[in-house]
Amino acid sequence: MKNEWLQIVLIILAPVIGGLIAGFERIIRARMQRRIGPPLLQPFYDFLKLADKRKMMVHSTHVFLGLMHFLALWFALAVLILGGDLILVIFLHLLSSALLILAGYSTRSIFSHLGANRMAISILAYEPVLILMAVTIYMINGSFDVSVIFSSGESLILKMPLAFIALLMILPVKLKKSPFDVAEAHQEITGGAEIEFSGIFYEAVYTAKWLDNVFCYTLVYLFGAGNPLLGAGLVVGVFLYVNALDNSSARVNYRQMLRFTIGVALPVAFINLLLSILHIL
Amino acid sequence: MKLNKYRKKSPWILHYNAGGCNGCDIEILACLAPKYDIERFGIINTGNPKQSDILLVTGPVTKRSRERLVEIYNQMPEPKVVISCGACASTGGVFRGMYNCEGGIDQYIPVDVCMRLRYQTPNKSLTGLYRHSPSWLKNQKKWNHP
Repeated sequence: MKNEWLQIVLIILAPVIGGLIAGFERIIRARMQRRIGPPLLQPFYDFLKLADKRKMMVHSTHVFLGLMHFLALWFALAVLILGGDLILVIFLHLLSSALLILAGYSTRSIFSHLGANRMAISILAYEPVLILMAVTIYMINGSFDVSVIFSSGESLILKMPLAFIALLMILPVKLKKSPFDVAEAHQEITGGAEIEFSGIFYEAVYTAKWLDNVFCYTLVYLFGAGNPLLGAGLVVGVFLYVNALDNSSARVNYRQMLRFTIGVALPVAFINLLLSILHIL
Repeated sequence: MKLNKYRKKSPWILHYNAGGCNGCDIEILACLAPKYDIERFGIINTGNPKQSDILLVTGPVTKRSRERLVEIYNQMPEPKVVISCGACASTGGVFRGMYNCEGGIDQYIPVDVCMRLRYQTPNKSLTGLYRHSPSWLKNQKKWNHP
């Protein structure tokens, strides 16, 4: 019973936790570049400032799709934290991305279209690996349920290390970090699909990025589910890895990204699946 | 809840070169680098007019760039502040009177903070960006709905 309350509190506070992660991330990135960096609560200051701007929208459907993007992502995160079906979680996340892509296509801005195109390509890059990961978990545990991963007691990283490596390869695509941040590409297409959002309507997309942080790091935590200490260690390690990679690499174009994720990450995840089926790992 | 104090804490910049020589631009970009690090005040160079608060213009207005300048200004939601950075953006500077040049940006858009120096230094940009413009932002009246 106590555990359920923890889950509910985690789901409700997920945007706040994600905001703190985003603030911490900005400090860590700044320190890696020998800068001081903004205060920890900077994302919340941005949030409050955006609430105060004049309300401008392109059209109501655009804003609605942005809001639904946020809600669908929150719902996916809720299902993940409550221990639901992993396939459902992955497809709810896909739905939320698809809503943002639709929002990108619904305006007349060329950058918005370009960003939406690139986001669709990013989904093509990371989605197969995630699904193979879920199938591997099914082969090991006999169920897609996240709660079974926790109750089985054994850490997944020992059983599917290659799938974890594949996840490390696609996490920059999912979190929109260099070298795979073609979808957002702030210096190039200034945010892609989110370019036409402004003021209070941008906040849905802005906070959805915080939720995405929580979502990705929860996925990482699943690999150390049996052992909370191992899980926390993995999350911290992956956090540092993603930010170090973001700071030290330049953006590749979408072809190179696709070639890498389909050509390297997907086979790695597939080999793990084969090994799990043959009971080698 | 009064939200206008948070305007000061996260002013996002839109940097536009209206036709200058890039001298001021590199000084502004130097502010983002580790030595001056304006991100510690929450300032980000967004490059997106719909999400930014400060329009930072360098260089004089040329005949080609004036429409873009006004368009960018119109796309920015209030509250917004315009900084003319350097002598060229403020008055036309050394380009004043040339056949392709229209003079300072204040002929086309209202300028709030004017940095009328012959050339920029990161220190001066910082003073304009951090000390003057956020207070302008804070005190600006909220836009009234028609």
